[in-house]
Amino acid sequence: MSHSLHRHGTRDQLQRDYTFYARTSRYVNREGCGPKLRRILAILLEETRINNFGSSHAGKSYAAGLKPEEYALTLDKAYGVAACFSENDAVRSVLAKLKEADTGISIVVSGLIDEIAAMAKDLGLTPHTVFLSLGVHGKKALLPEDRVLEITTMCGHGQVATRLTKAVVERVKAGKMTPEAGAHLLAQPCPCGIFNTTRCAAILKASPQGASGGRGR
Amino acid sequence: MRIDPDKCMGCMECADFCPVECIHERDGQGVIDENECVECGVCLRADVCPNDALFMPEESLRYPRLVRAQFSDPGVSHPATNQAGRGTEEMKTNDVTGRFRRGEFGMALEFGRPGIGTRLTEIEKVLQALMAMQVELEENNPVFGLVADMRTGALKPEVRNEKVLSAILEFKIRQERLEDIVQRLTPVLADVDTVVSWGLATRFAEDGSLPVLSRLDALGVPARPNGKVNMGMGRPIVEP
Repeated sequence: MSHSLHRHGTRDQLQRDYTFYARTSRYVNREGCGPKLRRILAILLEETRINNFGSSHAGKSYAAGLKPEEYALTLDKAYGVAACFSENDAVRSVLAKLKEADTGISIVVSGLIDEIAAMAKDLGLTPHTVFLSLGVHGKKALLPEDRVLEITTMCGHGQVATRLTKAVVERVKAGKMTPEAGAHLLAQPCPCGIFNTTRCAAILKASPQGASGGRGR
Repeated sequence: MRIDPDKCMGCMECADFCPVECIHERDGQGVIDENECVECGVCLRADVCPNDALFMPEESLRYPRLVRAQFSDPGVSHPATNQAGRGTEEMKTNDVTGRFRRGEFGMALEFGRPGIGTRLTEIEKVLQALMAMQVELEENNPVFGLVADMRTGALKPEVRNEKVLSAILEFKIRQERLEDIVQRLTPVLADVDTVVSWGLATRFAEDGSLPVLSRLDALGVPARPNGKVNMGMGRPIVEP
């Protein structure tokens, strides 16, 4: 649940980080959903600015080698189709086509709520429900610093490790790895296709000295 | 997870991939602290071991330890819900299920997230507090299957000390109870031995606004600017 909800970051970063989820309901429309989900996948793939896609049921994401035709075969009785984008316009374009397609499958977009609401208004859509993040509570001293959380929270199942993130930050800073290669490596453990590699590369590029320091704050 | 000592060369390539940092070097070899391991399988799937020394032992697949993989590996199904994932459809399909109606708030407390992990005892502490608050728990959530006594919120004794990457308590309240619940819940969450990511699901008002935001500000638990929006494109739509 809520795997795209608690993404950490500044408003400026989050303006370039949108996740998309077409989700079937086991109680309403999962039976026979294959053709509809494949139609949705086709619409997503028509958008060339798609950053990543996948789903835990497929076992890996596009960034980890999932091929569209392989993914399409997994969509009968599936939970849904997930993807991520860096551009507001790309999400808008996908939503416009989905409105036209009228598949009846629930569509969830995660990102800056005011921007998504404005996008919906422009497209003549009426947003139904929102899931708000009320932040992290409890023993926050256990958390790594913000820059690490900005990367690790892009996998909502917690599969991207703090230690791996710190190691990649160090390699990029030392010039032993490009930010893009670092982002590609960090995307591997996340099977859902919502780890935004473009955003991750931008964070790695901007990492100042000391960004990979120890736990505790 | 375990590392075969006859195969491990001590390169420690796997250690960086562990989300809970439980792979250590001892006597020139990698060793997994099995008490801390949450059986997420990330180290194995990373496929970085040159000698294939990592493996999932049979004990990891036996109850109660099996609970660890069920809550930590997104590819493993829960027996209680017969599907993978730690939670439920929650608001993702609310336009067609009507699970959260106008006048209600859904709440989700995700223990161990982000990236810390949790013992189930920490969830039990909060569950017991929630039972005293008489909230409406979501029965289709995988944690529900671990509860021994619904009156007290006590978990089954054999699972209490199991450690998972994260697990979620989901419940619903009437909107007028928000202040009471938040004020009682906040100190309970402050006392747990892990982190908890807190979410609140609500319908948009008919004019598209979110009246709950000012109430959350006043309570000292402001909503972040980013969240998840159900776009209202499911059909047939419930309570437009």
